[in-house]
Amino acid sequence: MDRDLFSHIDTDLNSISYLSLNYDHFDSALSSIVSSPSAAPTPPGPNDSLVLRELIGRLGTICNNKSASVGAGDHSANTSCYSTPLSSPPKSLLHPLPNMNPNPNPMPFVPDPGFADRAARMPCFGGGPHMAMSGQLSRVSSSQSLMDAGMTGGVQLEGELPVRENGAGGRGANNGRKRKAGVKGKGKEASLASSGTVNSKISEEDQSAKRCRPDCKAGEKKGGTEEKNGNCSENNNGDRENKNDSDSNNANAKPVEPPKDYIHVRARRGQATDSHSLAERVRREKISERMKLLQDLVPGCNKVTGKAVMLDEIINYVQSLQRQVEFLSMKLATVNTPSDVNMDNLLQKDMQQPLYRSAFSYPNQPQVAPLNSLLATNSIPNLGMQPSSNLPFDGFGNANPQIGGFWEDDLQSVVQMGFGQNQEAALSSQSFQGSGPSSSDMKIEL
Amino acid sequence: MQALHFLQALARIARAAPKPAHSARTRQIRHAAYASMAHSSRSSRRTWSRALLHRLRQRQRPGRLLTVRRRVRIVTPITSRPEEPARAETLRQLVPGGRGMEYCNLLEETADYVQCLRAQVQLMQTLLDAFSS
Repeated sequence: MDRDLFSHIDTDLNSISYLSLNYDHFDSALSSIVSSPSAAPTPPGPNDSLVLRELIGRLGTICNNKSASVGAGDHSANTSCYSTPLSSPPKSLLHPLPNMNPNPNPMPFVPDPGFADRAARMPCFGGGPHMAMSGQLSRVSSSQSLMDAGMTGGVQLEGELPVRENGAGGRGANNGRKRKAGVKGKGKEASLASSGTVNSKISEEDQSAKRCRPDCKAGEKKGGTEEKNGNCSENNNGDRENKNDSDSNNANAKPVEPPKDYIHVRARRGQATDSHSLAERVRREKISERMKLLQDLVPGCNKVTGKAVMLDEIINYVQSLQRQVEFLSMKLATVNTPSDVNMDNLLQKDMQQPLYRSAFSYPNQPQVAPLNSLLATNSIPNLGMQPSSNLPFDGFGNANPQIGGFWEDDLQSVVQMGFGQNQEAALSSQSFQGSGPSSSDMKIEL
Repeated sequence: MQALHFLQALARIARAAPKPAHSARTRQIRHAAYASMAHSSRSSRRTWSRALLHRLRQRQRPGRLLTVRRRVRIVTPITSRPEEPARAETLRQLVPGGRGMEYCNLLEETADYVQCLRAQVQLMQTLLDAFSS
């Protein structure tokens, strides 16, 4: 009974602590939370309190670290959910948060049935990247609102403490949860039974979790993958999306209590839960996410389905691009002669602007007029005086057609004035602002 | 960034003694194109850009045969990975620096490489149109 209760607490706290990224504030949050369960019927055992500490600390850090990223409204919803039967625990939980962190946002508890599951997937442990954290929180908030609507009693972290009963035990045995870190076997069960304590509630929870599937699942899966990504410091967005799409139809995932440094992945119902298959699943999702990215890049791949054909298309595209580069370089070698360039024509504004846009496609359009005048005068110092960051591009944009002629004829004449002239250096450095290291390459050799 | 570098290099090549050897200039321009791709701000942190620069520098200095690899990378027999499709090896050969990467990272690098390649091709096409018009 005691263990069930506190294992449940552990899982809930674990799920909440997913949001936290560091464990600096364990003690303060811990003490507050540990004191809160004092209202529970039974005092926590030494082991449980330890786990509780960690979880609570994480909870505290969650609010502290990621409070800024999560919307305030969600927080309020979260806090309100928790401020129920056991009023003292939530308060105690929330109190240390402001103390610990300048961020005053309340802890983003997600009191929904799938919260435990979702939270379990949050990559809080191990100090994942903020991105994962914030992403998690936002999702949690949204799903939480759903949950609140769905759940009658709401899920309160502390509320479950006293209620915890055989529900955890029954629930735990149901699903083959996968626990990478193996903090507590009971924790898993507890996390699942976030809202109910009785066995009957388990089914209810599952159903409610299923009801809130789209968001919960997304939150959960995202949490799992994100956590892993967080640990691996990889981009989580793709995984999140993958999880959303792929997991929306799965049965409720099993919560996994992830230890800090572990990659938290959720095993799907009916799937193998050993670490190898989970890692493979995550890897496969990553690969599919990257393939989607490539599909967007490579034109004409929208209709193609399947990794093999896509891969062929990608290879063909890369080969064709490389061949194009070779072909264009060959053509440029033949075309790039000063005689072909007509400075007057090239200085025309209408000609330069489209050329500029097509060549560079930068968001900020160049200022053609001043550059035209500058280029027309063929004065290198003027050209070199352009200080704005846009101008280098502008200069190039306008100078594109002129490069052949300008550089060949005028620049050479100017260059002859002095190789190491400041103007030239200015021209090189300022005209080519973006390329610092290559400015040295710009030494004009005569 | 990419365009700047390329234009600089082009200017440099144009200013240099106009070698009659067409192939030499082609090679120079191609070298400049890849160098500007690798120097672009977007790709400076990518594996393929580093590998590409390394490869370019390697080709530029044929005399220094001993400096082939500063970083000893144990290239494992990647082709035997079961999860990868059969064409992954081809992709590895195409993307610079793709030999030492896992399949996941290879796909990511390929995406970035494709982006830069496309930008470079567009840039060169535009230059060509500008010069020839």
